[in-house]
Amino acid sequence: MVVKSDDNKIICRCEEVSLGTIKDIVHHFHCSSREVKLRTRAGMGYCGGRICRTIIEKVVQDINNEKVSNESQLSYRPPIRPVTFGQLGGSENDDES
Amino acid sequence: MSDLLIIGAGPAGLSAAIAAAEEGLSVTVIDEFPKAGGRLLGQLHQEPNGEWWNGIQKGEQLSQRAHQLGVTIQCEVSVYDISQSKNGWEVYTTRGEYKAEKLLLATGATESPIPVKGWTLPGVMTIGAAQIMGNVHRVKPGNSCIIIGANVLSMAIANELKLCGVNVKEIIIPKADITSNEAGNPEQVLSSLMRLTHLAPTPILRQLGKIGKMVHPKIAIRLFPKKGIRMFDIPLRLKTAALEIVGDRFATGVRTVNIKANGEIDHTSEKVVDADFVCIAGGLTPLSELASIIGCSFKYIPELGGHVPVHNEQMQTNIPGLYVAGNITGIESAKVAMAQGRVAGLAIAADITNDWEQMETSINKAIENVNITRDKALIQFHPGISDARKKFYQKSEVNLTQISKIKKREA
Amino acid sequence: MTMRVECHPVLGNLENQRRITIYYDDQAYQAYEGDTIASAMMAEGVKTLRYHEVSGKGRGVYCNIGHCFECRVCVNEEKIVRACLTPVSEGMRIHSLS
Repeated sequence: MVVKSDDNKIICRCEEVSLGTIKDIVHHFHCSSREVKLRTRAGMGYCGGRICRTIIEKVVQDINNEKVSNESQLSYRPPIRPVTFGQLGGSENDDES
Repeated sequence: MSDLLIIGAGPAGLSAAIAAAEEGLSVTVIDEFPKAGGRLLGQLHQEPNGEWWNGIQKGEQLSQRAHQLGVTIQCEVSVYDISQSKNGWEVYTTRGEYKAEKLLLATGATESPIPVKGWTLPGVMTIGAAQIMGNVHRVKPGNSCIIIGANVLSMAIANELKLCGVNVKEIIIPKADITSNEAGNPEQVLSSLMRLTHLAPTPILRQLGKIGKMVHPKIAIRLFPKKGIRMFDIPLRLKTAALEIVGDRFATGVRTVNIKANGEIDHTSEKVVDADFVCIAGGLTPLSELASIIGCSFKYIPELGGHVPVHNEQMQTNIPGLYVAGNITGIESAKVAMAQGRVAGLAIAADITNDWEQMETSINKAIENVNITRDKALIQFHPGISDARKKFYQKSEVNLTQISKIKKREA
Repeated sequence: MTMRVECHPVLGNLENQRRITIYYDDQAYQAYEGDTIASAMMAEGVKTLRYHEVSGKGRGVYCNIGHCFECRVCVNEEKIVRACLTPVSEGMRIHSLS
């Protein structure tokens, strides 16, 4: 039995973005990991890209034949944990939605 | 307002808290997890002298000592943003705002993923997740498991799961592709296992280390038996690759295939091995998101596990008043993290009292202890840590102005 | 079915655990005081904690230390929390998200 392509495996668990989608975007637009994120929502889900960011960067660097840079393309932005408007307004003990 | 706020109540954070409190600082430690101890909590392995390293006990000892010194430890607190003002730091959390003059990030590491087809199924978790479930919560995620990813961490935790009564059916590697890096290459996996030192925590790992001195991994992987070798009675199969995690509503097994030393797949060998749960072991990488939002400079150092905030040997970052310690500075053992924590705690005390001269001897002694601990480490997560550190600190862009001033004057 | 590691050759035996009752999707489950929601449900053999909001596929504990947010659940019909970081309490009512 021939092994099917791995392209339909999920890379970004939060937004269910597949490896194939990410590869297609990089090939088509010759773009950075940041642009991949904006175009596919990979790394933009609930976890803030904590889980999949290194994989997205790896795939982009491999396809574009780049070396890993010191300053990561997918920098973190606050809030780095989901917060409520209540918390942003200063109230305590609120939930994480 | 505290003198020092520490984010992360693991080995580095608690050790820093103790060192700083011993110097008279008021210290608060916060952590997301319900229990203090961080990564220590799951650890359980035998030292070469036969004694058990019980991470839960170590964590409790550190917490107790910190409490005795008047350190405030608050768990279930999640940080979502940080800002710096003239007076120090403001840290925004799910339990309100914390203020402190100095800030130490001791947030540890996060597990690197290995995306395998089917890895979102319930019953698939990181190897660290299974470790915490078994050793800390005392719950087995299932009766049998398969581990995808062969490295020092996965082998150590495989044994811990076995002690919890889990039937660990095999440790295999992911199928090589653009996402799997070296983890999917049998020769490179064996090569990294063979670099282990004579101090490795188990006889079989020590054995691999010895072989590594005599045989090239290229030859060794050709000789590596197809059915694997047994370690703690658990099959380590470097010539078996995971194609897919199978299951309808939850994971019920892994579709595997035999591969040759060069990674070539033998399609006729494809089969499904049943398991109650599946662990993904992709190794660790520094968790530096807080350093990132603060605006630290970063350096990519593969030997340290990825991107680390630029810092010097006194654990100061390039942002004044911001310190780092533990796995956020590079992946190493808990003992190294504890030693680093002590350096950070002392350096912060010197920073606050502005009395570097008084503290210089003890800080240098603590730095020396980090180096000794590093050289004696049982497990080197990546090869070449010591050299990479030395190079990094020599070139460090962080100037410890006060200390260099003292040194100049002495010279 | 319980998946508790009651006896452990190095860590010793679990003794005098206080049992409490929690409700997950309106069904009662036994938990131990000190459990997180994630460990309590796993001890009872419940692996699926939520359903993906778009695909509807089940998700469970992945990282167990709060990094991945896969195990988020609704508690007492108001708070969304990570099951792996949230201790259980007597009578806690937990609902899966979808």
